[in-house]
Amino acid sequence: MTDVRAPESGPSGPPPAERDERGRGGPGRSADPAAGAFGLADWLRWAWRQLTSMRIALILLFLLALASVPGSIVPQESTNPAGVQQYFTAHPALAPWLSRLGLFNVFGAPWFAATYVLLFASLVGCVVPRTFRLVGSARTLPPRAPRHLTRLPRSARYATTLPPDQATEVAARLLAGRGFRLRRPVNGDSDGHWVSAEKGYLREVGNLLFHLALLGVLVAVALGGLFGYKTDRLLVQGTTFADTQSDLDEIYPGRLVTAADYPPFTITLNRFEASYITSGAQRGQPLSFDARISYTAQPGGPTRTDNLQVNRPLSVDGAKVYLIGHGYAPVFKVTDARGQVVYDQATPFISGSSGNFLSEGVVKVSGAQPEQLGFSGVFVPTAVEVNGVLESAFPAADNPAVSLIAYAGNLGLNNGVPQSVYQIDTAGMRQLTAQPQLLLPGQSLKLPDGQGTIAFTGYVPWVSLQITHDPGQIPALICGMAALGGLLLSFMVRRRRVFVRALAGGPAHLGGPEQGSTVQVGGLARTDASGGFDEEFASLAAELRAAHEQAAASQHEGE
Amino acid sequence: MFKAKRRLVLLAAAALAGTALAVVLLSGWASGGNSGVTDVAGSTSAVLYSVGHRPLAPDFTASTLTGSRLSFSSYRGRVVVLNFWGSWCAPCRQEAPTLAVVAEQYRQAGVAFLGVDVRDTTASALAFVHDYGIPYPSVNDSGSEITLDFTAVVPIAGTPTTLVIDRTGHIAGAVFGTATYAELSDILARVTGKAGTS
Amino acid sequence: MPVNVALGQVSNGFLIAALVIYSLSVVAFAGDFAFGRPRRADSAVRVEQSRERATALATVASAAAAGTASNGSGDGPGDGAGPGAGPGQGAAAAAANSMPEVAPPPLRAIRQAGRWVETGIALSVVAVVAHTAAVVTRGLAVHRAPWGNMYEFVTALTCVAAIFFVFVMVRYRAWALGVFVMGAVVVALGLAETLIYTAAGQLVPALQSYWLSIHVTAMTLATGIFFVAAVLGVVYLVADRYNRRVAAGKAEAGNGIVRRLPSMEQIDRLTYRTVVFGFPIWTFGVIAGAIWADQAWGSYWSWDPVEVWAFITWVLYAAFLHARATAGFRGRRAHYIQLLGFASLMFNIMVVQVFITGLHSYAGVS
Repeated sequence: MTDVRAPESGPSGPPPAERDERGRGGPGRSADPAAGAFGLADWLRWAWRQLTSMRIALILLFLLALASVPGSIVPQESTNPAGVQQYFTAHPALAPWLSRLGLFNVFGAPWFAATYVLLFASLVGCVVPRTFRLVGSARTLPPRAPRHLTRLPRSARYATTLPPDQATEVAARLLAGRGFRLRRPVNGDSDGHWVSAEKGYLREVGNLLFHLALLGVLVAVALGGLFGYKTDRLLVQGTTFADTQSDLDEIYPGRLVTAADYPPFTITLNRFEASYITSGAQRGQPLSFDARISYTAQPGGPTRTDNLQVNRPLSVDGAKVYLIGHGYAPVFKVTDARGQVVYDQATPFISGSSGNFLSEGVVKVSGAQPEQLGFSGVFVPTAVEVNGVLESAFPAADNPAVSLIAYAGNLGLNNGVPQSVYQIDTAGMRQLTAQPQLLLPGQSLKLPDGQGTIAFTGYVPWVSLQITHDPGQIPALICGMAALGGLLLSFMVRRRRVFVRALAGGPAHLGGPEQGSTVQVGGLARTDASGGFDEEFASLAAELRAAHEQAAASQHEGE
Repeated sequence: MFKAKRRLVLLAAAALAGTALAVVLLSGWASGGNSGVTDVAGSTSAVLYSVGHRPLAPDFTASTLTGSRLSFSSYRGRVVVLNFWGSWCAPCRQEAPTLAVVAEQYRQAGVAFLGVDVRDTTASALAFVHDYGIPYPSVNDSGSEITLDFTAVVPIAGTPTTLVIDRTGHIAGAVFGTATYAELSDILARVTGKAGTS
Repeated sequence: MPVNVALGQVSNGFLIAALVIYSLSVVAFAGDFAFGRPRRADSAVRVEQSRERATALATVASAAAAGTASNGSGDGPGDGAGPGAGPGQGAAAAAANSMPEVAPPPLRAIRQAGRWVETGIALSVVAVVAHTAAVVTRGLAVHRAPWGNMYEFVTALTCVAAIFFVFVMVRYRAWALGVFVMGAVVVALGLAETLIYTAAGQLVPALQSYWLSIHVTAMTLATGIFFVAAVLGVVYLVADRYNRRVAAGKAEAGNGIVRRLPSMEQIDRLTYRTVVFGFPIWTFGVIAGAIWADQAWGSYWSWDPVEVWAFITWVLYAAFLHARATAGFRGRRAHYIQLLGFASLMFNIMVVQVFITGLHSYAGVS
C-alpha cells in the first residue's frame, strides 16, 4: 500500500509516469501560509492532516492493541462478574484504583472508545478522499507515455518491420484485449507514436471496501449494543420458565432494550442427560450433553419439543437459546419443630473449579418455626473419601451424597435486601452440628433439640440457558465478509501501467530494416503486494512482440 | 483550489454529523415519556394509570396453594389487588405485613387481594403464608403463564410487583418493587374512591 | 467413536521420522553455507532487471551479445533472449533486443545451486511428506480434524509452515533461508513432542462441531505462515544489524553467512509477501471463530481472553502492513512490529489458552 499523500521522490514530485493526472488536491495542500499568525482554521487543518496521516494511524493501531491487553488479564465485569468480586476481595487496595481507571470494563471504557473512535475518524478521513480520488481517476485517462521507457523499472525493446503507427495500433489492440484502459495521442500531438495502458483499479476498490467494511463492523457492533441483549436462566429439570424480565436470573440488556422486547416464549426442561468417558486416559471428560425441552413460542401457542445441545442453539422468535452449562440439584425435604413440612424442593448446587462436579450450595428454610433453619454443604456425584476428605471421583452421579452443616436462627431475609440463593449469611445464626453430616439418598438428618429433620430424597439435574438477541449479528457478518473480500482484492490485484512507444526507422547500428520501427515497452506497478508483475510484464512483452511479428508476417504475405 | 476547500468543508460537515449521530445513539436516550401515567406519592416505582389509559388485565384460571381452582374472571366487578410474590424473595417478606394490613383495612370496601406465587414450591409457599398470616388466597404460577400474560400489558420487571385492577377489569395502578403502606393506600384510595377502615 | 490407538502410534512414528529428516535437512543447508558453491547474494532469489543493465545492453557489441544471448543462466544474471524470440533472429537483432529475461526453471536452478542445496531441499520434501502423513494419520485415528488440542495444533502449524516454506524456496529460490526456517520447525516440533504431547483422544462436546474444522484450520494455516514470516523477520534483523555494524566499521565485511543470504530488500519483500498471504487467512479465521462462538456461546464476540489476543495479533499485523507504507517505519521498525505480532500470537497460544481461564480453555494441557 503506498501512501498517496507522501511522495517518495525528489522535490519535483514523483516522475510523470507514477503521477495521477489530476494532481493531488487534499486538505492542507492549498494552504499558502501567510507570514505571521496561524489561525484557528489552520490549526484545525493541521490537526486533521495529522489525524489522517499514516503515522498517526499506526500509532493508534498500537494504542488499540495495547489498550486491549488489560482486558484479557484483569477479570471483566461483562464476562466474569464473580471474578471481579474475587479480585476485590483478593486485592482490596489495588482493586478500587483499577475500577476507577475502568480496567474492569476495558472494552466499554471511555478511553478505549476514544482510541477506536479516533482510529475510525482517521480511517474515514483517509478513505473518503481516496474514494473521491478513485472515482476521479477512474474517469481520467492514464498518463502520457514517458519519453524514455527504458528508465522505467521494467522495460523491453525490440525491432519490428511494421511502421510506427501500425506497430502502436497492434499494441493497442492487444492491450485492449487484455483489459487495459488505453490512451492514445490525439491528432496534433507531435509526441510520436505511443500507447498508454492502465489496469487494476480494483485494487483500490478492494482497499477502500476493506476499510469501509471495518467501519460497518463497528456500526453493527453498536447496533447490537443498543438493541441486543443477553440473559441467563438456571432451569431445574421438570420446571418451566418464561422469557420475561421477572423470570430471568441475569439480564444484560442493550441500552435501548425494554422489558417488552423479550419474546414471550416458555421452556420446560423435560430431561437432561450428560455422558462422560468412562475409561482410559480421558476418563471423566464429557462426551455429550442433551437437554430435552418443550417450548411454546407464544402463550397459548403450540408446544414443540427440541433437543438442546452445545453448538446447537434453539431459535425462537428472534432470540437464540443456548445450553451453557449444567449441574446437580439435590432434593431436600425439611420438617420443622412443629412437624410441618416447610421445604420440599430441588435446590441447585453450583460446581466450582474442583473437578468432577463437586458442587456447593445452601438450603434456606425461611418458613421453619420457631427458628429459621439453614444448611450449607456440598453435593458429590460420585463420593469417595480421600484422606478423610470427601471428594468426587467421576462427574456422573454414580454414588451421590451430600454433606451438610446445619444452622438455626435468623436468615436475614426480613429486611428486604435480596440475597444470593447460593450463599447463606450465618451472622444471625448458630451452628447446630459440630461436624458436616454425610447423607446418602433416602437418609435424613435429625437436628438437635427437636429442631426438625432434613431428608435428602434424591437429586435432579439443572441446566443453565443463555438467551441472546443481537440485531447487529448479520450485518457484522456481511461486513466481515466484505472486509475479507476487499482485503483479497487489494492484495491480489495490482495497479499497473504499461507504455508502448514505436520509434520510426531502424537505425543502422541496431540492424533493423529501414522501414520498420523500434518498439519500446515499459511498465511499472504502483503497488505489488503479491509480486508477480515481473512475470506479467515479461509475458506481456513477449506477447506484444509475437503480435508484431504476426502482423508483420501477414502484412508481408499480403503484399 | 476551490474544489479542495469545498471537499474539506463537506468532509468536516459529514464528520460532525456522524459524530453527533454517534453520540446520540451511543448515549442511548430513553424512550419518550408515556402519556397517561403518573407517579404516586413521589415514588418512581408506583404509578397510576388514568382512565382511558388503563390496560386490560388478562384473564386466567389456576390452582390455589391449597389445591382448588380459581378463575380471575370471578373477581369482575370488584377492585382487585394482585400481588406477585415468592417465598424465596426477601423484599416480599418485607412487604407481606403491609399487604396483610391493607387487605384487612379495605375488606369492607370490597377490595379483594389475590396473590400470584411465582417460581416457588407449595411447601415453602404455605409456610410463608402461615408465618405472615396472609388472609387472602394465592394461585400457583410455577409455569409462569400468568406472569407472561401480564407482562404483555404492564412491564413487570421483577418480584414483587403489585397491580391494582379496577372494577371493569382494567389495571389502574401498579407498584414495581416492595410496596409501602403509603403507596398502596394512596392507589387504593384513588381507585376505590374510599379510604380504608382502620 | 473410539480412538484408533494403533493409528495414533503410526502418527507418532511418522512425526519422529519427520523430526529426524528435518534435522538432516538443516544439516544439509548448513553444509551449503559452509561448503557450498559460492554465489552472489542477489542471485539467490529471482533476479530482477535493473535499469543500468537495460541501458548498458543497448550498446553491447553484437559478437558478445551473440555469446550471452544463447547461454543458460549461470551464476551471473543471464540475459537470454525472451521466450518469444525465435532462433531465426539474427545475432545482431538479438543484440538490439533487451527482453526481460525469465529465470531458469526451478529444478535447473536447484541443481545449479549445488549438491548441498539439492540434498537439503530433497530432505525437506521427504520430511514434509512424513510430517503430513503424521498429521493425516492422527486425524484418521481420532476421526476428526487433527487440531483439537495444543499438541495437535503445533504439529499441524509446523507442517503448514514447512509446506509453505518449501513452496517459497522453490518459487523464490530462497534456499539460503532454509537452515533458519527448517531449524525453527525442528525446534518447535521437538518442544511439542517433549513438553506438550497429548495422546490421541476425543473432544469435549463444545468442540464437536464442523466449525472446528473451519476455524481452527484457518488459524493453523495462518499461524504456520506467520511462523515462516517471523523466522524471516529474525533473519532480516540479524543481517541488518550486521550490515549496520559493518557500515559503522565495527565488524568486518564479508562474513560468510550474511554474504550468502539474499539482499535485505529481497528478504524484506519475501517477509512482506508472506504476511500478505497469511493476513487474509487470519482474518477469515477470526470471522469463522466468531461464527462458531455465536453458535456455541451465544455471542459472536465476548472479549474472551483468547479473542482479545487474536484481535491484538490482527491489529499488530495490520500495523505491519501499514508500516511498510509509512516513512520512518520501513525496514527494521516494521519487522519489529511483525515480530511483536507473532509474539502476541505465541502468547495467545501458549499462555492465554493454557493459563487464563475463559471460554477457550480447551488446550488439553494440564
